[in-house]
Amino acid sequence: MEYLIDGFIRAAQLLLRGNEEAYSTIWTTLKVSSLSIIFSLLLGLPSGFMLSYLNFPGKKQIRAVVDTLLALPTVVVGIFIYGFISKRGPLGEFNLLFTISGIVAAQTILILPIVISLTASAIEGLDNRLMLTLITLGAKGKQLVFSIIYEARYAIFTAAVTAYGRAISEVGISMMIGGNIKWHTRTITTAIALESGKGDFAMGIALGIILLSIALFVNCSLIMLRRKA
Amino acid sequence: MIEIDNTSLYRVINIKHGYNNRFRLEIPDLTINKGISIGFIGSNGSGKSTLFRILAFLETPSEGTIFFNGKNVYGRPLSIKNDVTLLLQKPYLLKRSVFENIVYGLKMRGEKKNLKQRAFEALRWVGLSPEDFSQRRWFELSGGEAQRVAIASRLILKPKVLILDEPTSNIDQLSASLIKEAITAIRNRFNTTLIISSHDHVWLNKVADNILIIHNGRITGSGTENIIEGPWYHDKDDLWIKTLLDGKKIFATKPLNPDSIALLNPSEIIIANVKQSHISAQNILNGVITSMSTANEFEKIKVNVEIHGISLACNLTQHAVHELKLLPGKNVWVIFKASSLKWQ
Repeated sequence: MEYLIDGFIRAAQLLLRGNEEAYSTIWTTLKVSSLSIIFSLLLGLPSGFMLSYLNFPGKKQIRAVVDTLLALPTVVVGIFIYGFISKRGPLGEFNLLFTISGIVAAQTILILPIVISLTASAIEGLDNRLMLTLITLGAKGKQLVFSIIYEARYAIFTAAVTAYGRAISEVGISMMIGGNIKWHTRTITTAIALESGKGDFAMGIALGIILLSIALFVNCSLIMLRRKA
Repeated sequence: MIEIDNTSLYRVINIKHGYNNRFRLEIPDLTINKGISIGFIGSNGSGKSTLFRILAFLETPSEGTIFFNGKNVYGRPLSIKNDVTLLLQKPYLLKRSVFENIVYGLKMRGEKKNLKQRAFEALRWVGLSPEDFSQRRWFELSGGEAQRVAIASRLILKPKVLILDEPTSNIDQLSASLIKEAITAIRNRFNTTLIISSHDHVWLNKVADNILIIHNGRITGSGTENIIEGPWYHDKDDLWIKTLLDGKKIFATKPLNPDSIALLNPSEIIIANVKQSHISAQNILNGVITSMSTANEFEKIKVNVEIHGISLACNLTQHAVHELKLLPGKNVWVIFKASSLKWQ
């Protein structure tokens, strides 16, 4: 129990005293998870829209695969991406291993199924009178697509929050692809794993509290944004 | 070679349309002229909504041709869709403010000028205070208010064709009355072609220049005849009844099915100033004359009588009108035989 209380105190000290290492870890975490969510939304929103809106052969099978990938273990993504971007891998020449870009690419792959699947479900869940209403009011082409996505914005917010939660809390990818390099690729989760491994539970709990606070802040911001929308 | 009259806005030729072989709309020939108001009457599932979606270019019929403004619509650019707007039977409001709902169509057309002023004007047309309603969210409206917002979002577009699928069903009387006023006003102001379906036959008779009856996917007649919708219930012997609002009954012979539509020729109705007894006619109903006008029939006067929630038109000679001293507002007795009702 003592180390829990100690953890709270250490968390406050790290933040209030402006501990550079802690802030570097927080910054790296925010950077990789924010970039991952941006890329996954850019790829996932149109894919999810098409998966729900268009009819094409193999649609059900693709949907089944995407839904299965929701439970993708982070270490599995990590090992696959590691195989691709390591020196001997097909993408080895891009030198992505142990870089922020590598973690972002792998995290994007990890959370993309969440964005695609939840976006598709959000679009499918819309009232079937919506499309007729938009067309009768004169919407065409892109206007129609954006209006439909806008109508599903609350469910898409939820998809984004869920995906962000998965990205910010994963450890397998950050450890395998990032390598937990101090001042460079160390994220909060890899730092927690390291500190706990060293036996410094209080530091691990302090970082955990910071991670939870960030998650809470992001969620509250999105809830505010949702209310405003 | 199909000839298209300059005055015709729609010319529908040999269209056939169905869903999973269960329902089939078949219209060999239908012309709708520019600026007219045409009403459609039919029971639920008769094909009105399907026809309306085809006329609004939301669905393409399996077979047949539609000419709009003299041109075959297939292969035409989507811009013609901007000339036509449809209000669905159960309108859908976008998850936005009332103001955003109303100006959505204008924005889609690239119109950005005076949006606030135009939206406020459209709200006033449907009897909603712009100050109170423009910033309300979609979920802060009653059913009738939502319907009025949906109507306003169509009226603001000043479309060439306004298609309304039962615009006053399932809403409060005040909203229904305001919607009817707005529709009439917009038609008079912008010469909009109106295509309407409604179970409110009294209003439809007023607003429509011509009424068509649609049954089982086919246009089965025109509305110069009185239309009495089911349901019909078996009474005794060969007689079937429809119960009116205050419990009074209309007697008829056996219908094709309990939901059949009965047609009653206006010339088969007798009007009397006092209640008749000892006569063979089964239907002797009390009503109030609501309007009188020149009938299409030579030298006859069309007298509309409202009877416990339904409106019946009777064609009388000028002599009869004079003798009976008929005037709007007068209480009269309407008499017709059960066998005068013909089934659709």
